[in-house]
Amino acid sequence: MNAENLLFMILMIAFPFYLAAFVLYSIRIVKGPTIFDSVLAVDCLSFDLAAFIAILAIYFRSAFLATSAIILALWAFLLDLYLAKYFLKREVGI
Amino acid sequence: MISEALMYIGGILVIIGGICDFFGALGLLRFPHFYVRLHAATVGTIGGAVVPLIGAAILALGCDFLGWIRYPIAGMSFITAILILIVSPTATHALAFAAHRSKAIEWKEKVCDHLEGVKR
Repeated sequence: MNAENLLFMILMIAFPFYLAAFVLYSIRIVKGPTIFDSVLAVDCLSFDLAAFIAILAIYFRSAFLATSAIILALWAFLLDLYLAKYFLKREVGI
Repeated sequence: MISEALMYIGGILVIIGGICDFFGALGLLRFPHFYVRLHAATVGTIGGAVVPLIGAAILALGCDFLGWIRYPIAGMSFITAILILIVSPTATHALAFAAHRSKAIEWKEKVCDHLEGVKR
């Protein structure tokens, strides 16, 4: 069992869980009664996509792919703050 | 020897993260209203993003066939893990405060007294 087969086996065990979670999150995004539910689901989806991208960066052996994980995590944080600010003060302040 | 151990530890953390992620998503779908879903969101975020990112960092350090690329990948995923650890509670706290203060989602009292009918 050399290293690459071990890595491939680990990822193939973990991938279905991530894909099922992404589908369930997108169901909540579409179904969400209020906008807060869907934004909460988008927030979780973005953070988990950031983790998924970091794992794919190992699989595709490229360091540039891992940089997008940080930006995606920060973007998800900004989305929540903009929504919170909009609902509190009716303006976003950009 | 060391790289094998690192790969196993990182792999276990990634798989645990995947399972936590799946349960968080399931909870986000099944819970009754927004305030209870915040718990499922936090499970999905911390368990489903921070744990696998730390696992990916350890896994990247363990993969020798990556050569020198594994160091930036491990560093970046570890920084992302710390970042999400700081950012995620702030974001969900802001959402909960905005939802409550702007009365977008009304707060139904969920207090029930289990010891109501019990006689000493």
